[in-house]
Amino acid sequence: MRKMLSLLLALMMLLSMTTIASAEATQEIIYALANEPDGIDPSITNNSFASPILVNAFEGLFTYDTTTGLLVYGEAADCVVSDDGLVYTFTLKDNLKWSDGTPHTAQDYVYTIKRILIPETAAKYVTNVTDYIVGAQEYYDGTTTDFETVGVKATDDKTLVFTLKAPISFFPALLSMWTFSPVQAATIEANGDQWTNKAETYVSNGPFMVSELNLGESVVLVKNPHYYDADKVKLEKITFRYIADQSTSLMAYENGEIDGMNTVPSSDYARLKASDSGLVLSAAYGTVYYNFNCEKAPFDNVLVRKAFNLAIDRYTIINDVAQTDAEPAFSFMSPGYVLDGEEFVEGRSDFGLSDEADVEAAQAALAEAGYPNGEGFPEITLSYYTNESVKKIVEALAEMLETNLNIKVKITNADWAIFYEDVLAGNFDLCAMGWSGDYVHPMTFLMLLKTGDINNLGGYSNADYDALVNQALSMTDDKAAMEVMRQADNLVSADYPVLSLYYKSNTMLMNPAVQGYLVTASNHLLLKTAYVAE
Amino acid sequence: MSRYLIKRIAMMIVTLFMIALLTFILMHVVPGGPFTQEKQVPQAVLDALNEKYHLNDPLWKQFLDYMKGLLKFELGPSFKYQGKTVNDFIGNGLPYSATLGGITLVFVLLTSIPMGIVAALKNGKWQDMLLMALATIGVTIPSFVIGTGLMYIFSYQLGWTPTYGVDKWQGYILPCIALGGYSVSFLARLMRSSLLEVMGQDYIRTARAKGISESRVIVKHALRNALIPVITVLGPTVANLLTGSFVIEKIYAIPGMGSYFVNSVTQRDYTTIMGMTIFYAAFLIAMIFIVDIFYCLIDPRIKYD
Repeated sequence: MRKMLSLLLALMMLLSMTTIASAEATQEIIYALANEPDGIDPSITNNSFASPILVNAFEGLFTYDTTTGLLVYGEAADCVVSDDGLVYTFTLKDNLKWSDGTPHTAQDYVYTIKRILIPETAAKYVTNVTDYIVGAQEYYDGTTTDFETVGVKATDDKTLVFTLKAPISFFPALLSMWTFSPVQAATIEANGDQWTNKAETYVSNGPFMVSELNLGESVVLVKNPHYYDADKVKLEKITFRYIADQSTSLMAYENGEIDGMNTVPSSDYARLKASDSGLVLSAAYGTVYYNFNCEKAPFDNVLVRKAFNLAIDRYTIINDVAQTDAEPAFSFMSPGYVLDGEEFVEGRSDFGLSDEADVEAAQAALAEAGYPNGEGFPEITLSYYTNESVKKIVEALAEMLETNLNIKVKITNADWAIFYEDVLAGNFDLCAMGWSGDYVHPMTFLMLLKTGDINNLGGYSNADYDALVNQALSMTDDKAAMEVMRQADNLVSADYPVLSLYYKSNTMLMNPAVQGYLVTASNHLLLKTAYVAE
Repeated sequence: MSRYLIKRIAMMIVTLFMIALLTFILMHVVPGGPFTQEKQVPQAVLDALNEKYHLNDPLWKQFLDYMKGLLKFELGPSFKYQGKTVNDFIGNGLPYSATLGGITLVFVLLTSIPMGIVAALKNGKWQDMLLMALATIGVTIPSFVIGTGLMYIFSYQLGWTPTYGVDKWQGYILPCIALGGYSVSFLARLMRSSLLEVMGQDYIRTARAKGISESRVIVKHALRNALIPVITVLGPTVANLLTGSFVIEKIYAIPGMGSYFVNSVTQRDYTTIMGMTIFYAAFLIAMIFIVDIFYCLIDPRIKYD
């Protein structure tokens, strides 16, 4: 009996201990990702699915302040820009270390750039280096083998100098991209392209480091004790779990088995929004639009493009079809860039467009283009990549265009791989597309409509516009450059180069107890200062 | 028998080769390549990628190189996932898929055969009606509906089982039922009809006439013959269960092989398509072969020369 009593007592003590332990919130979260990235080597991948891992395990010279959302120094302590805007001299913070505890210097940045510029690396974002840094294109093309000619140098362990081709004022924003996060030479030389396959060899420099890599299942991050700002990092463990099925992750979320997920099923959107369930909405720097094939009739005619833009009801598409929270788009350029407190698109014209369809004006434009009441207008094909939510929008769009313009619209769809090849080859009339800025600067949008840009899929071309974009690219004064970019945006928007639908917003679900994180406009989830509140 | 075995094995190799060749041709006929991505990649990068993965070689050379690798059981690097090989996908995914499949197989055999026997012996009675009604539901409702439905009831409403993953043993319960549901129903119906047919045979009447007890008639004489059709379909069933179901693995977020196989097709990940197809095909062929061998043991009337 006594034995029994003592056993019971021990058991009770154990139980009470666990209750005490659980009263204090454990700093661990599980976050579901819908897709597995194609790779987690920051120098190589351009896959947005890699973002949650890369932005938390790595940090470049610039990062985003998790409270204000502004671009701030990351590993850089100071930066001096030459008067002509071409030379950026960075001083790194003191005592930088890799997650394996070894010292990390300016030479690591040089190594990273050099590795990106070797074609065999197959770095997908290589143009972010070759387009802007002196000598990079030549080194990449092999016209020179002397890396000394490339505009990136480490003059000592803490000083890093970039020399640019043109005084691009968005260089700091560009440097915040993971392409410019340093990678460790030692692990890459020892393990080759296998370095990203094992937690032990996956050396990083950010607030967190990888502790487990389970193929197809999860990536586990733990606090990096060697991070320069480790005192501010509160989460001990983040588990990114791949759950492909949205209804599964939603059930797991509502059950409390996971703390967050990066996709919200549109069918549950309204319900989640109405309840206090942790739906997080943030503005994105991106636009959902349809590309006109501007090189072919009938879309080589600006009046036809205008008629199409007038004929669609954006309000219905956003609220009833896509069922999302988004701003209707009257231009390709998304709002989101703020300079000295001034929003880029502030005071911008609506270019004659509105939330709802303006059937009369649309038909008038079409008549002026030579197709009164849609007569003689060729049947056009509206193509999209196979996707349930895009399908709904496409069907609604086709219906609106047919009814309001009295024309014929044929819908086709294909796998992304087939769809995109057709689009690249110019085999389309009107196709579904979207763009999210890689960094928050209008140039990430403006470049896409420049003649000959590789992402200018609609083949839009306007010499005046190109001249304005080039002019803005060569300016060192941000304020003056903003005015030129606004001119360019106004010029091109009045030409209706795309059928713009709405400006993207990012949605995710996060347990309200998790606080102190930031979702950037490029939809990066920064967990550096996140914590689980009690 | 040994001549038969050699013949069969030779046929298996030819079949596999034809499957590999057809897959290779079809996959290259379909438009789109492995490097068509979210965002356009500069031509120089595409060239570098094509060079790295030998996609610039003539097709016949690519096929030959692939077959050479296959002889060494090297299924090549994935075109989509940097630094990963198809062997990694199988090596990582198969244990999950096979564990789930193995448990499901046991579950299927332990439920379907007794169900079929009871239904046959109680032919026309309420037990038969009930079991066959259940079996009809199992055959007609797709596994993803069963899977989501079970999850909604047992994970979401009751909280008895985890929603996703197989980190805990409870995680296997729902996927097993959802994955095995069809097989249970199908095998139970097959078992029932097969046993009913055998029970009407002359030799059963003879056995009964000899005065053998009813249980002995069923176990010793009827079951052994009634199992033959069941064993026939067991081969493909085992292959299906063990190599995993993409749908069930996706619903329960189990990191098996299924997702790589299905995704590789839309991603045009050539080596993964080839590797997975050959692996599945080899597994299926091997299972059918084993079943054929089993016939001999079960039915003395079947002989191979």
